[in-house]
Amino acid sequence: MKNKRKTNLILNMDHDRLGDFFPLLQKGVTVEAHVGCSLELLLSHQWQIPAEYAAQRITTIFLNSRPIDSLATAIINEDAVIALSGAMPGLVGATMRRGGYYAAMREGITHHATAGNGVDRNATVRVKLFNLLLPELGPGFLQRGIIIPAGELSRFFNGKSEYFWQGCRSALLDNFPILPHLLSREDLFPDQSTVRLSVNFPSPDKQDKCVNDFTNS
Amino acid sequence: MDKIARIDMGAAGGPKVTVGDLGEYAGLGGRAMTSLMVAAEVHPLAHPLGAENKLVISPGMLSGTTGSMTGRLSVGCKSPLTGTIKESNAGGQAAQVLARLGYAAVVLEGKPEGDDLYKIVINKDGIQVIVDNSLKLMDNYPLVAKLREEYGDKVAYMTIGSAGERKLLAASIACTDPELRPTRHCGRGGVGAVMGAKRVKAIILDDAGMKMRPPKDPEKYRDANRKFVEGLRKHPVTGEGLPAYGTNVLTNVLNEAGGYPAYNFKSGQFAESANLSGETQAALEIQRGGSATHGCHRGCVIQCSGIYNDKDGNYVTKQPEYETVWSHGGHCGISNLDTVAKLDYMDDNIGVDTIEMGVTIGVAMDAGLAEFGDDAAAIRLMEEVEKGTPLGRVLGSGAAITGKVFGVERVPVVKDQALPAYDPRAVQGIGVTYATTTQGADHTAGYAIATNILKVGGDVDPLKTEGQIELSRNLQIATAAIDSTGMCLFIAFAIMDQPETFQALLDMLGSFHGITMTGDDVVALGKKVLSAERDFNTRAGFTKHHDRLPRFFYNEPIAPHNQTFMMKDEELDEVFNW
Repeated sequence: MKNKRKTNLILNMDHDRLGDFFPLLQKGVTVEAHVGCSLELLLSHQWQIPAEYAAQRITTIFLNSRPIDSLATAIINEDAVIALSGAMPGLVGATMRRGGYYAAMREGITHHATAGNGVDRNATVRVKLFNLLLPELGPGFLQRGIIIPAGELSRFFNGKSEYFWQGCRSALLDNFPILPHLLSREDLFPDQSTVRLSVNFPSPDKQDKCVNDFTNS
Repeated sequence: MDKIARIDMGAAGGPKVTVGDLGEYAGLGGRAMTSLMVAAEVHPLAHPLGAENKLVISPGMLSGTTGSMTGRLSVGCKSPLTGTIKESNAGGQAAQVLARLGYAAVVLEGKPEGDDLYKIVINKDGIQVIVDNSLKLMDNYPLVAKLREEYGDKVAYMTIGSAGERKLLAASIACTDPELRPTRHCGRGGVGAVMGAKRVKAIILDDAGMKMRPPKDPEKYRDANRKFVEGLRKHPVTGEGLPAYGTNVLTNVLNEAGGYPAYNFKSGQFAESANLSGETQAALEIQRGGSATHGCHRGCVIQCSGIYNDKDGNYVTKQPEYETVWSHGGHCGISNLDTVAKLDYMDDNIGVDTIEMGVTIGVAMDAGLAEFGDDAAAIRLMEEVEKGTPLGRVLGSGAAITGKVFGVERVPVVKDQALPAYDPRAVQGIGVTYATTTQGADHTAGYAIATNILKVGGDVDPLKTEGQIELSRNLQIATAAIDSTGMCLFIAFAIMDQPETFQALLDMLGSFHGITMTGDDVVALGKKVLSAERDFNTRAGFTKHHDRLPRFFYNEPIAPHNQTFMMKDEELDEVFNW
């Protein structure tokens, strides 16, 4: 991906179209990150997620498919896959909880502290958002930008309804305005390229709200 | 709930109804009632479809009251699927109505001669057992529609579809929801086949003229219920996650954990799981004019169900639950929610357990009857069950039978009951419960995640691996107790995290029955139920050697963690050693 041409695309969307991006976010999107640090630092310093919010709302976290119990000891390496979830139902939901009472029931797959690869640098990681966290954290990730293969983005745009495009107020492709409808053209992005997509939702997003809720409480 | 009705379907001259007092069963409800009665009254070596077996139907201890979440109905018998004792429960309206009619249990006994089919009408005036051969081989949706023409919309219906009449081992008993759809099922263990064997097609429950059950201390009960509801509403699982996404919110997380059994337990992840997730499902339901938030009975505040419409906005089925979406979805390599919804409707209509049927179709795919991921073939196999063809009867008798008939080695069952949607190689602790529960593989047998607050068995260090045996034991005890109250198991989340919500539940039970109830009392009840169930199973010929997972879980590592089930047999044998 590093050697491929990268296109920059910025969308300004109505807030009620946020849900259209949830399929991308739950499947996972690539984002730029400074790796070699702890998950705790990644969440708090790079992604600006308050510790109180992380403690109370992000109750289940997977690092490379392994549930974690400690944010401080989980080290993020390049290409790490990080999945964030709110509170889950069921015995297994309780079992996957971070530091939960039933953690022993998934001991065999639990992530244990690793030293990391020792490289402290800028790279990319893949992040997935589930359930209650989609509307709460999704706007922040979309605004900071996600990196997506051109083919996947084309498929995403091709499936969108007229309602979606009506909610797209403006679009900038490599800093040039483009009519939003043209984004669904399959030949718009070069083959094998990647796109850095940033989506702005002008109305106050839920991440701001949740940040305020938790910092004020 | 001061009486028990016994209906001898095999009595000379036709079915005979006897209504008596509670006797030794006083104070019991739900699973406590069904299991203690079956253990005491059914010969453990009885043929499950014979006259000696009994079908015990019992509302929970708080059903029929103004209390929230009190609408679970238990059905118990000797299971034709597993050969063990069986308790299977469901939501819907039946528990509330039966409780208001004053019955702590309705017991179907005996077996009639001949081919007549019966319906049973229970109302304030008593019980009638009526021959109605016009209902023969009707499936649940048209059956309820026909019954509504005669009995109206202000009743609750319990019915069996064609699967129950054919005595298929996966047959369920349907309970209607508030909209009178037959969507809530006592699904597991073939209880519908036992009802079919007794030739009972439908039970019509009419509580016209009856009132809510009065608590002994109305003011305290009202106050406790208010606090209980507050606790449910403020908890992120019961107040946010379940209402928004239903139980299918688990798909993404189980898949991420590598505990989502795909392709008949050959992989712990399914590449297209996001297409099946609760998040995707809820968005689709809302977009199509259905609903992602709906209660299965009146008085439910969690509202974890929903309405699934087709692309034209027409009702297809209720919101399929996580286990259903998994069994008909990833387990079979299928990633289309519309296909899953159609199969869910077929399950409900024919009257079969969605877990058992989905797992069975996956086993059939492994046998080469269809390709994994072939939506049309999965529907075609279900149609065989619907028609009652010889193949359909094999499939409708569950995964174990199907695996034997077609020579499949990888058959995910314990005591011949299909495993639910959590791979025990990734989540070893749940494998302990699958292996040892009295019910055959069942995730809900150890589901009441309130053991920490109940202090069942004392304090456990949950971070030690050896604690898994004790955790499973304690979960099974707590679950047996909650199953007896008639409360929905989902209340356990709020109980686990909020001591004041647990106290409110104890206060509801105490103020209703005029007793003081403690956590110790709840634990004692759970142990009593489990002991009776274990004793029945032992007398039925079950030993510790039946408390095991199939060998492939020990021999075949599963991706992505490449792990096998590692609990030792000697450890499993300690689960019920209290």
